[in-house]
Amino acid sequence: MDNNFDGILLSINGFTIELQQSVLNWLILCILLGVFFVFAGKRFEKADARKAPKGILLLCELVVDLCKNILGDNLKEQTRRFLPFLGTLIMLMSISNLLGLLGLQPPTSNVSLNIALAVMMFLMIQYNAIKKGGLLARLKELAEPLWVMTPLNIIGEFALPVSLSMRLFGNILAGTIIMMLVYSVFQLLMPFGPILYAVIPFLHMYFDIFSGLLQTYIFFTLSSFFLSEQVCESEE
Amino acid sequence: MEFNEYFVKGMAVLAAGIAILVGIAPAFGQSRTASKAVEGVARNPEAAGKIRSLMVLGIALAETTGIYAFIISLLLIFLIAM
Repeated sequence: MDNNFDGILLSINGFTIELQQSVLNWLILCILLGVFFVFAGKRFEKADARKAPKGILLLCELVVDLCKNILGDNLKEQTRRFLPFLGTLIMLMSISNLLGLLGLQPPTSNVSLNIALAVMMFLMIQYNAIKKGGLLARLKELAEPLWVMTPLNIIGEFALPVSLSMRLFGNILAGTIIMMLVYSVFQLLMPFGPILYAVIPFLHMYFDIFSGLLQTYIFFTLSSFFLSEQVCESEE
Repeated sequence: MEFNEYFVKGMAVLAAGIAILVGIAPAFGQSRTASKAVEGVARNPEAAGKIRSLMVLGIALAETTGIYAFIISLLLIFLIAM
């Protein structure tokens, strides 16, 4: 066991599970978001539709509107069908990217969450592609324009989850590592360490707020773009 | 032929440094994107909002190769050199 491990160890009958800090943060975030959704849903059922929304209701409507804007560019009239699933993931991912502001490790800096999300997107796209015209039509589509191109097309399909997950992972991990380095420089310079207060807020702004939210936007824009190729009818 | 443990570690760190040199390519791509976007806004100032969001998307996409290089150098450092 290396000594820079942070997290908790669960041992059941001599079988040990390592729960890393990022996974723990993700679990806590999921529970909090779940409670929030149930609570907000109850409020929405009781709310009066004729009055302007206030407080939590206003926040929820703004967030849902934002998600609709992100997904609506590509999915067009199919947005409503995918909004509940993709919108929830947008909220989860943007909040988890912002966790670096609190000094916690963002769950997306662990590659397992990113790969899980990207594989989910990949499976959804393939499912919709097969549902569109049956398995045979899908296989025929892979063999276009020539049958020689089939391996290349298959590699192209598998490149999507890899690029989606690695882009997000690399960006967030880069931010985390650079912030960690800056804080260790802070410790090294200790009598004069507080000089670094001049740069730390800007680094947090760039790596946590800007980069985190931008990566969320890009992840969902790209996945909804590839989804819309399969779900929406083409215009020609 | 056997190599010293320290030789392997040092070579891994060197390889990580060479891998991150890929950063030159996305830098070129991103700067081209930004300059073209500025040209576009200068020609048609009303489209500034749309061009900005497209530019940000394009820049983040161009960053991908750099991110791959970053991940490879991290793997080299954390799996071999440490």
